[in-house]
Amino acid sequence: MSKPFLQIRGIRKEYGPVTAVHDVNLDVAQGEFLTFLGPSGSGKSTTLYIIAGFENPTRGDILLNGETLLSTPSHKRNIGMVFQRYTLFPHLTVGENIAFPLKVRRLPKAEVDAKVRDMLKLVRLEGFEDRKPAQMSGGQQQRVALARALAYDPPVLLMDEPLSALDKKLREEIQHEIRRIHQQTEVTILYVTHDQEEALRLSDRIAVFSKGVIDQIGTGPELYANPATRFVAEFIGDSDFLPCDLVAAADGRAEIALAGTTVIPNVPVHGKPVAGGKAALMLRPERLRLMRSAPGGSIALPVKVSDITFLGNNIHVATETARGDALAVRLPFGHEAISSLNRGDSVWLGFDPATAHVFC
Amino acid sequence: MLSRTDARAEGSKIPAHRLRLTDFDLTLPALGLLVLFFVVPVVILLARSVTEPAPGLGNYAELLGSSTYLRIFANTFIVSGLVTVVSLLIGFPVAWALAIMPSRLASVVFAILLLSMWTNLLARTYAWMVLLQRTGVINKLLIGMGLIDKPLPLVNNLTGVTIGMTYIMLPFIILPLYGVIRKIDPAILQAAALCGANRWQALVRVLLPLAMPGMAAGALMVFVMSLGYFVTPALLGGTANMMLAELIAQFVQSLVNWGMGGAAALVLLVVTLALYAVQLRFFGTDRMGGR
Repeated sequence: MSKPFLQIRGIRKEYGPVTAVHDVNLDVAQGEFLTFLGPSGSGKSTTLYIIAGFENPTRGDILLNGETLLSTPSHKRNIGMVFQRYTLFPHLTVGENIAFPLKVRRLPKAEVDAKVRDMLKLVRLEGFEDRKPAQMSGGQQQRVALARALAYDPPVLLMDEPLSALDKKLREEIQHEIRRIHQQTEVTILYVTHDQEEALRLSDRIAVFSKGVIDQIGTGPELYANPATRFVAEFIGDSDFLPCDLVAAADGRAEIALAGTTVIPNVPVHGKPVAGGKAALMLRPERLRLMRSAPGGSIALPVKVSDITFLGNNIHVATETARGDALAVRLPFGHEAISSLNRGDSVWLGFDPATAHVFC
Repeated sequence: MLSRTDARAEGSKIPAHRLRLTDFDLTLPALGLLVLFFVVPVVILLARSVTEPAPGLGNYAELLGSSTYLRIFANTFIVSGLVTVVSLLIGFPVAWALAIMPSRLASVVFAILLLSMWTNLLARTYAWMVLLQRTGVINKLLIGMGLIDKPLPLVNNLTGVTIGMTYIMLPFIILPLYGVIRKIDPAILQAAALCGANRWQALVRVLLPLAMPGMAAGALMVFVMSLGYFVTPALLGGTANMMLAELIAQFVQSLVNWGMGGAAALVLLVVTLALYAVQLRFFGTDRMGGR
């Protein structure tokens, strides 16, 4: 990563007694695609709105190229933004919408026209410049909004759940467009979404927001392989959780006891481990091995199959431990263990402790 | 055989005459009343304008040929235009404030607006007379503040009429404008700001064009109502500068000249319909009150 381009320094936002954002710190590199991922009310949109200048932080600072943005009003920040709702000016045509930011900057007409043409080409909507927004589909409107936000070459582009109003197929199509446009323009993008798949598909890095705090920042694979908190583990990918007892912990590794008996050493541990305390063991459904008989040597849990669901390219097997804890297993279609597997069968689930995680 | 019985049984459930929304029968009594008490008298009045005292367009020639009457037309249009413009200038900020203020506060302001509308028109007009007169509160205040030496002539002239009528017409601008402004998504203005538009540019390039249908609807209503307004001009205006409704009243009541009265009324009607046609042409009924 090059030198920090956009720096979020200890941003805090309080609404009366409610704190929406708790001291968020974040460095964004130039040209990076960074996504704020989190459920609604986690503070991700508020942080974005503070960068846009629609909200003032209670504390903290935002620096762009080392200079504070907070003293600059929204209309002078030169930041681009695509909103969740359709915000094209309904009385202007597509071309006039894209020209709007250039006209308020009083650029010469020839320059404006050339830029509008470039932008329409960028979002692949040539020939649409004379349409009114109401004559276009939601996906097209958001592409025009993207063109309008990029027309004045902003250093940073903010996107606040721009695809949430679109259906799944269209969403994936425009995700591809956004990726292409990001690669083509090399603009720095801050993207807000609550959809983990969208975040994983688009982003260079993801900041996972929970209750006004960034739980973890990292690339998709990093968050998946090494979640820092239980929340991140639940939010990125699928996960199984089993209650366990902490026997001992040192250097980020723990020895745990499952159901009082099975002792598993050397599991990565997160949080504040206390020997003898309660914890949760996280397993990924797709990394569990389903076996018909007890394996010799490796770690495995005896479970009963409670349901089998065919989901296209994989098969979802719901199981239950003797204590009644649910454990989901995902196996690729055609996996040998599936054939002749029935509800109520007793099987073993094996896993590698190094790929599991313990959260305290 | 069976199917035929079924069909008959099915048919018997349908009433012989089903009520449809396109049937006019039931509206006939109301239509009759409307024609009898509304259309017929207007037609008679207008007919008298071309028959009394002699058949022909003599009344119109006199009305449009005399400088006295033309003054009255001019007064009417100037005052109505001023009232419309001033109402828009005051009404737009009020409608905007109503649209963005917390709903509890907005309902209080609405209550004040409606209460003023429901207060008797004469009472309100006399109240303005008291306020605007030479020794009224406004003149006293201005003299007390040292802004003027002698009282301003605020009443018994067109100034008084304009002030009084603007006050009465304001709700008719504010209510339709409020409806339109409320429908504008605040995110559109946020988008305008991030695009680089300052407050003035956002107002002129985004907010005003989007509020245009509401402004046009309100302005037309106020202008047309002002053209034919009687009470306020009669009480707050002077005898020297009459307005059209006063002239019609004078023709009919004092001079018992139904021909001239009818002619003046027809001119007013034609102007009103022409303005309505302009409104329809540019804004269309379906766009009234929406974006």
